[in-house]
Amino acid sequence: MCATSPLRPVSSAPVPGLTLADRPDMPADPPGRSVPALRSRGAAQRRTPLRRFALSVLVLSLIWGALTDWRADALVFGVPAVLLGAAIPLLLPDSAPWRLSVRGAVLFALWFAVQSVRGAVDVALRAFAPRMPLCPGFRDHSLRLPQGAPRIMFVNTITLLPGTLSAEIRDDVLRVHMLDTRMALEPALADLEIRIRQLFALPDGPEVSS
Amino acid sequence: MLDLIAAFFIASGTVFFVAGTVGLLRFPDIFCRLHALTKADGLGLALIALGVGLLAGTPGEIFRIALVWSALAVASATCSHLVARYALRSGMEGRDD
Repeated sequence: MCATSPLRPVSSAPVPGLTLADRPDMPADPPGRSVPALRSRGAAQRRTPLRRFALSVLVLSLIWGALTDWRADALVFGVPAVLLGAAIPLLLPDSAPWRLSVRGAVLFALWFAVQSVRGAVDVALRAFAPRMPLCPGFRDHSLRLPQGAPRIMFVNTITLLPGTLSAEIRDDVLRVHMLDTRMALEPALADLEIRIRQLFALPDGPEVSS
Repeated sequence: MLDLIAAFFIASGTVFFVAGTVGLLRFPDIFCRLHALTKADGLGLALIALGVGLLAGTPGEIFRIALVWSALAVASATCSHLVARYALRSGMEGRDD
């Protein structure tokens, strides 16, 4: 039953080994999968393996340096660890390029902080309440965000919203577990989708039909 | 004064950890328990990290605390998704005890 699912944390959809940017001869996206039209051509060309490796080395070196307070003797472990770590992304399928909007990121971070407090307070109150007001169940939601970082962000953020938990992705349908199925799910997810689009500077998606 | 604020953050973080554990023990099935763990413990760690960060002396310490928090935030959401997916696919849906 799990045979079709590669070991990818939040996406069970098939992942091509190369991005469309690397393979211009690949067929166009399947219908229903919106593609960020604002993706700049330069950003796509920049993601050669060497660039990716160099970027990983840079980020990992900064993290290692900060972790060890820039101690020179720690480099005995640091250099191999950074090189090994930077090699791992090369073994994984390339992800679709994405970019962040600074304004969207700030707004999203603030909103995210408020929502995670709301979510935690909500679940804490339910846990402490003597009668435990739960009405758990599943709801399906059709994913409209493009594959890759925006969708991963969407699915992971749902888990931190009040009362919702992303449970399974099958093709383009996300199965959400709700602590209280009497709560309205679609407005909350539509709102989150708009915020993710702002965060990744994506154009507006297809109109929400409901 | 800073100590007091930090103590307040750490104490409230602990309350959320307790809430997450209470939820883990009381909630009826695996999915509800995941809600308790990801959300309550996530905020609990964020509050404790905030409190400890206020007490931390060096930028390096603050960076390490922030790194711990961000790693946990990503890992807990991803892991809870994986646990829920496994539970769904192995047919634990709707099983109460």
